[in-house]
Amino acid sequence: MTAVLHKAERDAVVRPRPARRARHPYALASALFLAPMVIVFGYFSWWPIVQSALLAFQRTNLVDPAQWVGWQNFANLFADPLLGTAALNTVWFTVLALIFGFPVPVFLAVVMSELRRGGGLFRVLVYLPVAVPPVVAVMMWKFFYNSDYGLLNGMFGLVGLGPFPWLQDTAWAMPSLVLEATWAGAGGTVLIYIAALTSVPKELYEAAESDGASIWRRIWHITLPQLRGVLLLMLLLQIIGTFQVFTEPFVMTDGGPEDSTATVLLLIYRYAFVYGDYGMAAALSVLLAVVLGLLSAVYLRATKTWSST
Amino acid sequence: MNRELARVATAGAAGALLLGLAACGGGSGSGGADGERAADGKVEITVAGMPPSTQPASQKDFLADVAAFEQANPTIKIKPTDTQYDVKTFAARLAAGQLETVFRVPLTDPPSMIKRGQVADLTADLKSLTHADFDTRLLAPASGPDGKVYGLPTEAYAAGLVYNRELFTKAGLDPDKPPATWEDVRAAAKQINDKTGVPGFGMHSTSNTGGWILTTMTYAYGGRMEKEEGGTYVPAFDDASTRTVLDLLKAMRWEDKSMGTQQLRNFDDMLRDFASGKIGMMVGAPNLFSGYKLKFGGDPDKFGQTTLPMAPGGGALLGGTVAVVSPKATPEQRQAAVKWIDYYYLRPKYDVALAAKRAKQRKADNLIAGLPVLPFFTQAISGPVIEAERANSNVPWANFDTYINGVASQEFVPEPPVAAQELYAALDTVVQAVLTRQDADPAAELKKAVEKVTPILDRSQQ
Repeated sequence: MTAVLHKAERDAVVRPRPARRARHPYALASALFLAPMVIVFGYFSWWPIVQSALLAFQRTNLVDPAQWVGWQNFANLFADPLLGTAALNTVWFTVLALIFGFPVPVFLAVVMSELRRGGGLFRVLVYLPVAVPPVVAVMMWKFFYNSDYGLLNGMFGLVGLGPFPWLQDTAWAMPSLVLEATWAGAGGTVLIYIAALTSVPKELYEAAESDGASIWRRIWHITLPQLRGVLLLMLLLQIIGTFQVFTEPFVMTDGGPEDSTATVLLLIYRYAFVYGDYGMAAALSVLLAVVLGLLSAVYLRATKTWSST
Repeated sequence: MNRELARVATAGAAGALLLGLAACGGGSGSGGADGERAADGKVEITVAGMPPSTQPASQKDFLADVAAFEQANPTIKIKPTDTQYDVKTFAARLAAGQLETVFRVPLTDPPSMIKRGQVADLTADLKSLTHADFDTRLLAPASGPDGKVYGLPTEAYAAGLVYNRELFTKAGLDPDKPPATWEDVRAAAKQINDKTGVPGFGMHSTSNTGGWILTTMTYAYGGRMEKEEGGTYVPAFDDASTRTVLDLLKAMRWEDKSMGTQQLRNFDDMLRDFASGKIGMMVGAPNLFSGYKLKFGGDPDKFGQTTLPMAPGGGALLGGTVAVVSPKATPEQRQAAVKWIDYYYLRPKYDVALAAKRAKQRKADNLIAGLPVLPFFTQAISGPVIEAERANSNVPWANFDTYINGVASQEFVPEPPVAAQELYAALDTVVQAVLTRQDADPAAELKKAVEKVTPILDRSQQ
């Protein structure tokens, strides 16, 4: 206590400055360093966000001044029967992507971290799909899925299975998209998990091994609890990411067959760039952002207690 | 760092950045259509469509045309760009003021652009054209409901049927006698499929092309997609014509099994499959020949083109390109733009020597030269031009014989007037249902589509 008082007194003597300045000795230099970022982000990122929020309440042809139309764009949106279909499809994609896409990278990361040899090779192999440009990857899978001369039906045909209607059937199309998305996206997530795994203290495994714990018990009782924070964050990021699924349905199916893969982002794209209704596109974008914001808030609140490691 | 100096530096840096950004914002419009009269009193316009440097002969010719035009019109200055219209970037370029004064769009797009006020009205400038006596059927697609003209055709095709001549021969069909009725089409598709194992008929069904081709076939059966009722447009496709088309597709797909199992194909998918001999026949116009040969390496000798079979009252949907003018153009720029369209795009349609020269240049650049297109003017004007193009063509005109002979007497029908793309999107679903689900009921699917399209048409006419 005394020492603290002494320090304060000494400071008061040595630096007789107004208190406000004393708290921010580097304020101006900070502002200087921040300014370019703030201006660039403000102009190219935040201002367009504000603009598109405003656009949701306007009608414009981009030539004449925009007209304010109140909630009309949202009313038109809810009158579109495709909105409900697209919302359900998006949720369906997210659910499927979580079922297939979430455990796969965790599994791969754990297995690869257990490998004594060849880990580098596997990491390259797993990451390779991420290096393929998304559109190219989707086009490639579109070719694999071709039901007349595609690779997959050819392969299954060799063992007497199929032909399967990969993208040709309302029930099959969405899982087929998820399969491609999982293949394309898993590599990046695997690397993050592998990095997280290196921070798990070795002593825990050694102690478990000396207690005779099996590999599954070590994974269940050490690896997964230690990865909890990363897992929960990746889950949230995956939910947000999959809600915005666009490339797969756009390139592979264009929302078909019979709207079974029409997603919210595909609808936004069509409103803006096919139908030229920028107001409705902005309204749906705002709606999606609000839903994702709420979802994230609820998720973070719900997982607050579990994620504190 | 000295604090005062830091403050000055911060303010200075921020100010410089803001100024830079402001300069960016202000500068974006200067190259676009809203550019003002140049300092030397000339009217400056930007024109899209200059051939890229990969086509040197055509680019050289284009720039020579620009120079000749400027010499003939000393008050006009042309700034050419090699930009091509792309629906995905159109809105952003329009908003940013980067859109050219003159650009070309596919025939599918003018109605919605007219509705949104995104193209200039050219009616008053038509009288300045050298030959204003167009085939009026070709002006219709770029005319508004108000009767005004918003674009000038630069290429026009009537929808037809394209077929693989080699597959016809292999299947025991005569490639010089292509199907003349829809029953013939069905029979030929089955024969091709049975004899060669290749799907005899292919149908587009995604990216709005399903609705587009369904519309084309409905027109051929004498139907229409929209009709006017009490001053507003309502869906008209839930009728016998469209149902007949869907029944035909259903029978070919599931009874005859002559359409293969791979569906959900867009324009490029279909053309690629056709060029690689994986489809016997499909709906398409002569302009497909360009992508068929240059993009997908199809064999020109295998390409066959005939007219669409027509039922009584049937008409052919028009395709092609239209030159339009930016809505941001000043009246002077608009007049200059129309002069340029006349000089560059329309002159080869009435100037025989120029038509031959252009065809030769395209040939030199290994592009498609002298494609059979619809004549723009009367036989007296267009006849010699088409002959000159044919003489310098690198297209096997003999493979287009039945098309050229048949199309002259056909009636042409423009796109549905209101919200055509939204209508096509809704009809994609109908086509997909029939092609991918054996138990799909065409009549029920059409009813569902009417429920979808009605609010869209209402909204578009608000």
